Amino acid sequence: MGWKDAIEGKPGDLVLLNGNEAIARGAYEAGVRYASSYPGSPSSEITETLSRVPASDLYAEWSVNEIVSLEGATAASFAGLRAMCTMKADGLNVAFDFLTSMNLGGCKGGLVLTVADDPQGHSSVKEYDSRYLAKSAMVPVLEPSTVKEAREMAIKAFDISEQIKGPVLLRSVTRVSHSRGLVRLGALAQERKKAEFPVGQRFLTKTLFHMKARDRLIQAAIIFEECKFNYTEGPDRADTVIFCCGTSLLYAREAINILGLQGKIKLVKIGTTFPLPERFILSNLQGVKNVIFAEEIRSFIEEGVMLIYARHNIGNIRFYGKISGDISGVRGPFCGEMNPDIIIKAIARVKRIQYEAPGYSPETIVEFSTMLPPREYAMCPGCPHRASFWAVKTAIAVDSRDCIVAGDIGCYCLGAWDTGYNLFDSLHCMGAGPGIASGLSKLEKFGLKRPTLTIVGDSTFYHAVIPGLINGRYSGSDFLCIVLDNSVTAMTGHQPHPGSGISNHGRSTTAIPIEEIVRGLGIPCAITDPFENDKTAETISSTLREPGVKVLILRRECALVAARKHQHKKQRVYVDQSLCRGESCGCGRFCTSVWGCPGNIWDPVAGKAVIDEAVCAGCGVCATLCPAGAIIAEEVDK
Amino acid sequence: MENCELEYGAAARLKEGVLDPDLCSGCGACVGFCPYIKSYNERVAIIHNCQICDGVCYRICPRGFTQYTSLRREVFGAVDFDPVLGVNKEIYFARAGEEEMRSCGQYGGVVTALSAFALKDGFIDSILMTGGNLKGTKPVLVSSTSGVAKCAGSKYTAAPTLSLFQEAIKNGYQKIGVVGRPCQVTASRKMQQAPEINGQRISLVIGLFCMGAFSPELYTLVKEKGLENCDRMDIPKDVLFSSSGEDTIIPYDEMRQFIRNACLSCYDPLSELADVSVGSTEYDPGWNALIIRTTKGAALVEQACANGYIEINPYPSELLPLLKRAVFRKKKRVLGRVDFTYLNLPAPEREYFLSTGDDD
Ligand SMILES: Cc1cc2nc3c(=O)[nH]c(=O)nc-3n(C[C@H](O)[C@H](O)[C@H](O)COP(=O)(O)OP(=O)(O)OC[C@H]3O[C@@H](n4cnc5c(N)ncnc54)[C@H](O)[C@@H]3O)c2cc1C
Ligand code: SF4
Ligand code: SF4
Ligand code: SF4
Ligand code: SF4
Repeated sequence: MGWKDAIEGKPGDLVLLNGNEAIARGAYEAGVRYASSYPGSPSSEITETLSRVPASDLYAEWSVNEIVSLEGATAASFAGLRAMCTMKADGLNVAFDFLTSMNLGGCKGGLVLTVADDPQGHSSVKEYDSRYLAKSAMVPVLEPSTVKEAREMAIKAFDISEQIKGPVLLRSVTRVSHSRGLVRLGALAQERKKAEFPVGQRFLTKTLFHMKARDRLIQAAIIFEECKFNYTEGPDRADTVIFCCGTSLLYAREAINILGLQGKIKLVKIGTTFPLPERFILSNLQGVKNVIFAEEIRSFIEEGVMLIYARHNIGNIRFYGKISGDISGVRGPFCGEMNPDIIIKAIARVKRIQYEAPGYSPETIVEFSTMLPPREYAMCPGCPHRASFWAVKTAIAVDSRDCIVAGDIGCYCLGAWDTGYNLFDSLHCMGAGPGIASGLSKLEKFGLKRPTLTIVGDSTFYHAVIPGLINGRYSGSDFLCIVLDNSVTAMTGHQPHPGSGISNHGRSTTAIPIEEIVRGLGIPCAITDPFENDKTAETISSTLREPGVKVLILRRECALVAARKHQHKKQRVYVDQSLCRGESCGCGRFCTSVWGCPGNIWDPVAGKAVIDEAVCAGCGVCATLCPAGAIIAEEVDK
Repeated sequence: MENCELEYGAAARLKEGVLDPDLCSGCGACVGFCPYIKSYNERVAIIHNCQICDGVCYRICPRGFTQYTSLRREVFGAVDFDPVLGVNKEIYFARAGEEEMRSCGQYGGVVTALSAFALKDGFIDSILMTGGNLKGTKPVLVSSTSGVAKCAGSKYTAAPTLSLFQEAIKNGYQKIGVVGRPCQVTASRKMQQAPEINGQRISLVIGLFCMGAFSPELYTLVKEKGLENCDRMDIPKDVLFSSSGEDTIIPYDEMRQFIRNACLSCYDPLSELADVSVGSTEYDPGWNALIIRTTKGAALVEQACANGYIEINPYPSELLPLLKRAVFRKKKRVLGRVDFTYLNLPAPEREYFLSTGDDD
């Protein structure tokens, strides 16, 4: 178990950890006392791991959103303790207002802001390069290339933060956070600092302190010049060098090996991507003809290095990167994830060598993939969101005024695609739904006749929805806000939230039910179970016609949580094929071709439906929807 | 079953031919059999286009294309019929035998009395009726005489009563009765031709007179005017809401806008295909007009009389022309509408209305 090794492993142990566990271990070794986070892939396991540290040693918190999270962690730093705040790239936007303020005045105990970017958006709606935000906030950035380095950088980041008296940003990416590597564990910090906030100590924000932030960056640049995270590999001199950072180091190594160019190309690995170590970079530009850049998402070090080049008289160098278009995958430069092939292509161009990648070309793969049957994103078997979406779809159809649906971010954002019956008309960031719905509802007098509803999640509700509701009620807007309440932050790995009444350490705390908040705002609030589908659809349909802002909570535990809790299926679900109407009128394969739970499958021989019992979660909702009563849900013994 | 191009499937035809042009009468016949058609608050919609060619939904819809002549023949055999009143054996003034039923009924309580008798005497084992109040209607599957009385009283909107038919089938009922508006009567007859939904189990159809139902917006108005707790609504001329003896009257001209579009092109104010049709006398609110149309209807009325469930009087001869004229005018008006395309009427019948003046 990764987290066990990360937390309970002994100094000197060589253990297999993922990048997030390694970062957590590094923080633990560095003596972190406060760890807060709003969950978000691919960052969530960091705080999950730290939550296993005995509560006497560390305070861990799933905060309600990123800005509150960073404020809490910063408070610990003010009191002289080491603190880590973790989030995904999108979360940095939410925390940004505070970050740009606190970074002026600075802080005291080591404060590390860990941000995990998600190139290609494997589990995000956008791919986002947090380094630009760090630069704009004037916060130094460390960028690990491997799991091993992730631990080392986490430790070092605390030291640097204390040296410069300001926060340090540790940038991970999915392929660091979620890959596994061997890590040699170090000793835990012995010193046990007491939290102190001495009388007269103040942390304020003031325009003049812009200078402090600047000076801190100058100090960081000096530290980075001597930093072991920047190094070179390969020959001392070479006419072609690859500047790389993060996981691209590994891709570049692989590219060089595949092309058999060991000894001919130099790798310059940058671990401190902001501010760049200028002298180190200059020394590696001397006498070079070609520079290739390999980094995730945008052209961050590429721009920095070219600026350094422009300010010095170094001779002719050609740069191959995203700006020149040479570093480019199937989505073109800047978009999508890096891989060795992209670098191989660039090297082959620079070195004028013919290289045929083994296997199919990316273009052919794309061509083939268009011939495959489409594999849509799908929600889990038994997922209550599927039932919620079916009810919303039904209600909107019956309402017949072409209701506009403003979506929001969570696993329910799959509602934008096939698995959610393509319901969403808009999808942006957490909390955007109510704002958009509210705005649209104000346009009636200018001719917009369609009503609006928004669909948000329970965790999102606490994170960002409440201001939108207040604004809607205050401004006299008309919209229905549907809260899909599955009682956890499901998308990111089932972290508890304020409604669940459970803390990070699994202890019970005060639950703050959504309905109490809503009613406190004077907004009418009803609750239904999406598995009582017809009733839910009818309620939505009626509520849509009520004036003002309305909230409807669709409450049903996430199928995965339910399965984990009960550890067995509650019901056995099967099809009585003698009753199944199959393709005939009166059904037309509802369960397999429209409803779309992966547990409902087609028996082509019988021409009837069946249940894939290995997949079915036993929720039984399809049994309530089957028009022929052919799907039977039977209680089975525990 | 064969799958069709999008625009030719039954669901698509129902959507494009009936629902989108606002010709749905809200009868509920198409609702409840498959997962793709739902109705809430008297609005009916197709949720998903199933692409099934000869689907039952379009076939049984009273506003789907209807071969009226052959449907009449299915119900009545080859008999002459009156183009205005439809096939009829007798026409009476009638009322419930018991005071209790009369007082809960809209007028004379004949529908309540006949339904209760039919259940008790085994004509039927269940009956689809319409309950609710001025907050909204509610289709009800009734199998006891006490349940019948609970549904007494007219609700002047388009309750989708027939949406509960499959519920009756699931409950195993074999002889199912229907009390419905004329569109629901036509739908019931079309359902009887559809064995895949067990339509043949419909065994008694009691039709109401109907000059039109209001759209569900009525309930918004009623709420705005604070009338939702009234216990009775009637349309003697203007629209009347009564609450324990206290009356509120809204002029009909103000209410006209709420009449369902589908009702404006309805050719059948008297439930011509019913076993018996029941309406107001437009004369004495303690009595009903009762038209006996089929042999089954005649038998029901005869036995209900014999058992004291209803009592009948001759229809006053001076009133009949008034009824006929009202129906004549309505039919003539509908024949002139461009959206009246769902009934295939025999040419002479069409001609009769178009060539005859109002006062003939
Ligand atoms: C929308 C509507 C319009 C009408 N318009 C006219 C008209 O123009 N002229 C006329 O003479 N009569 C009209 N009637 C019929 C009239 O209101 C009485 O229903 C009828 O005379 C029977 O009276 P009763 O005393 O026997 O009723 P009751 O014994 O009270 O029985 C009434 C029955 O009607 C059913 N019902 C109530 N509301 C609805 C509904 N919305 N849809 C379907 N079934 C319903 C109930 O199930 C109940 O069984 C209309 C009825 C409706 C529902
Ligand atoms: S929904 Fe029911 S009737 Fe339709 S295919 Fe599935 S099991 Fe058969
Ligand atoms: S019961 Fe039905 S909906 Fe639920 S998991 Fe099984 S197949 Fe899916
Ligand atoms: S009734 Fe049949 S044809 Fe109509 S929508 Fe349902 S499944 Fe399709
Ligand atoms: S008229 Fe009846 S059958 Fe036709 S669409 Fe409307 S509810 Fe369905």
